[in-house]
Amino acid sequence: MHLSGYVLQRLLRGLATFWFAVTITFFLVRLLPGDPVLAVAGPGMTEEIRLQQLALYGLDRPLAVQYFAYLRELVQGNLGISFLRSQPVTQVLMERLPWTLLLTGAALVLTVLLGIPLGVLAATRARGWVDQFVQVSGVIGQSLFVPSIGIFLLYTLGLMAGLFPIGGAVKSGLTGFAWYASVAHHLVLPCLTLVMAQLASYVLTLRSTLIEALGEEYCDLARAKGTPERTVVWKHALRNALLPTTTLIGLQIGFLVGGAVLTETIYAYPGVGRAIFEAVGQLDFPVLQGAFVLLAATVVLANLVTDLAYGFLDPRVRAG
Amino acid sequence: MIRNVRNAFTRRAVLMGGILVAAAATGLTAVSAQDATRLVIGTTADVVNFNPLVGNSRSDTWVTNLMYPRLMQMTAQGSKDPYVATDWGYSEDGLTAWLEIRDDLTWSDGTAFSAEDVAFTITAVTSEKIGVTAGLVPAFVSATAASPTRVEFVLSRPDSTFLTNIGFWMPIVPKHAFPEVGQVAAFANDKDWVSAGPFQLASVEVGQRYVLEAVDNYPLVEAGRATIDEVEFRVFPDVNAEALALRAGDLDLIANALPAPIAQTLNGQPGITVEQAPSLGWSHVLYNMQREPLDNVLVRQALAHSVDYEAIRAIAMQGLAQSTNSSVISPVLSYWADPAMEEYTFDPEAAKALLTEAGYADADGDGMFDDLELSLLYEQSAADIANWAQIMKDSAAQSGITINLVGLERNTYLARGREKDFDIYAGNWAVMEEPAAYLGLAYRTDGFINYASISDPELEKLIDAAQAATTPEAVKEQVQAAARLIQEQVYDNVLYYQTFQFAYNSDKWEGFVMQPSDLLSLVNPLSLASVKPKG
Repeated sequence: MHLSGYVLQRLLRGLATFWFAVTITFFLVRLLPGDPVLAVAGPGMTEEIRLQQLALYGLDRPLAVQYFAYLRELVQGNLGISFLRSQPVTQVLMERLPWTLLLTGAALVLTVLLGIPLGVLAATRARGWVDQFVQVSGVIGQSLFVPSIGIFLLYTLGLMAGLFPIGGAVKSGLTGFAWYASVAHHLVLPCLTLVMAQLASYVLTLRSTLIEALGEEYCDLARAKGTPERTVVWKHALRNALLPTTTLIGLQIGFLVGGAVLTETIYAYPGVGRAIFEAVGQLDFPVLQGAFVLLAATVVLANLVTDLAYGFLDPRVRAG
Repeated sequence: MIRNVRNAFTRRAVLMGGILVAAAATGLTAVSAQDATRLVIGTTADVVNFNPLVGNSRSDTWVTNLMYPRLMQMTAQGSKDPYVATDWGYSEDGLTAWLEIRDDLTWSDGTAFSAEDVAFTITAVTSEKIGVTAGLVPAFVSATAASPTRVEFVLSRPDSTFLTNIGFWMPIVPKHAFPEVGQVAAFANDKDWVSAGPFQLASVEVGQRYVLEAVDNYPLVEAGRATIDEVEFRVFPDVNAEALALRAGDLDLIANALPAPIAQTLNGQPGITVEQAPSLGWSHVLYNMQREPLDNVLVRQALAHSVDYEAIRAIAMQGLAQSTNSSVISPVLSYWADPAMEEYTFDPEAAKALLTEAGYADADGDGMFDDLELSLLYEQSAADIANWAQIMKDSAAQSGITINLVGLERNTYLARGREKDFDIYAGNWAVMEEPAAYLGLAYRTDGFINYASISDPELEKLIDAAQAATTPEAVKEQVQAAARLIQEQVYDNVLYYQTFQFAYNSDKWEGFVMQPSDLLSLVNPLSLASVKPKG
């Protein structure tokens, strides 16, 4: 398949996935138990007010009507008005999005920067003590739960060692370099938590694919031609072994988003993940829907980029 | 190649480490340079609505309470003292009411705080049916500003609770800075705030903090100004992290009541004081009067004798709860409480006798009454209730009563309670400080928190008489008679009122004024206007 055809196919698939995610989100949110008006106004509300509120937010209309009205608004870039805040959802989310992008972006970059050398180290010393250590650590790492890591780091590095603030994203009243420094200072623990929670997957995946690649004939051929082992590893084997890891990066963005909900909650970090946490508790449908749409778009876009990168790097994918 | 990569990686790692250390050092310096007169308060939720008439959560109330004054102030016993309102009363026939307000209060834009603002606020609340206050003043007809300091109200019937209800539950908003009546409920009030409390909202960083600055002209404290310069509410959704922040010195005070295990941990920490405040509400179980066999008073009395009250308070509540003597008037409300009332005893044999009298039998001899299986609905995330629900189930089994526990997430729980889809409903009422008013809300046939579907003409007569009485003594007599009837008929089974625990940094601060309930606690306008750095 020609590259442009491949790109078009992937774009259409991405759009279909996005529409599917939006639709599922719309109905899932409405399947949540409880009455959103009750959650907003509290139990001391009369039936008359309840009906008024339902009508105000269009929740008294048939589900299909609500759905198509929602799609129509979405196409126009309107995510609705928050029940609780009486503010446009886009405004609510745009206040939060930069923090989540900073946190997840930093975590992703750091994970890749740490994951690749560790994976290579484990693979090139397969069955040695370094490999054993990486594998055991990886298994432990995969079983760690984000809130447990968060509280552990807060207690040890935040409270006991006093190295980092216990929560928040930036200290108030700062400007210029001090503001950036404070942001970096506050970012360390939540970022480290996300890195610890997902690093193991990268390392273990890269380790196994690299070991497999190092046993391939083209590596043996390179060795037979006298190519130094480090060149075999870093230039020949790693390039191929990184392909599955590239896919994993795309998939892990979804995990990062899920992890961000918990991480942002524990660290009082003001991102979209925490907005989701709050909106679920308060049944703020518009914010929930808007946040999911935003995250679905992010994940679909990330996967699209990954697919395109994969197709560009490996022409066999386009053929398949 | 490997060496090159390693070197490059090492260089990057060292560079990154350096940046982090520099950032950490800068941040730590900034922390130590924090303004000494800023009090940093932890809350678990953001402010979702800055319109004080609409805001429905504690975090909203804590912030807006500092900006929009209430007319009266609550005492430790739940009664109301003068505050913005200096005097009030009713006409002899009870069909009009009046109150006088002080003349030295101004809004932050310099406009005088006047009776017009009070009349505007109550008109908006009642005509737009905003919040709980609207339900508390069904007798309200109209309000007029008779002078800049006098408001007069017309009532449809005598209501002895009207003034104290609006006095405490209705924050006053500025007529000149709010939209016209009819649009007040939809007003977000999220910028250009015009307020009249001890503090003025200065900055909002959603998800992070809300900073309020002391105003220079606040006549409701002796000095005419709050002692401290700023109050910062910092949002910590996770209470464990919040407690760590208090210990680390990042917070000075935690606004929300603490779960017992966290309070115990904080209690032993140097420099931290844990203070207690009584609840003005209570925890209870309601029996669904629409369902058999709970419409039978003998069954309800048997259930009341099947609760191990002491175990609930000692074990589930870890001693942080007191008995109300099975009364819907908590002893905290010392003026109203009836000292003659006694708690139902935990007596399985008495319960069995009552059930036998009601026609139940244990034909198969398994120790449990046949055809008597009830569900108990509770909120799973309410840790206290989740604990005592199990005790309640076990103690009922000793009376031969099968109780199945149904723990649900909050929204489903609230919805099922409202739809009366339960046998037994376990829950809390947060602040029930005005007995004649809340008796009407909770136990009158059309009361909008009458979850148990109680409909008793005799009880309604007592409630009506309490609300129509014009002297405190006459109100008290009717209120106590209603409470006795509720206890005898087991329309409500009150288990305890809670002792809330609040923690603050006592090395740095002194002068807080504790008020009852977790809605006020240490974070009330009087307290935050009075607190000062120690030493």
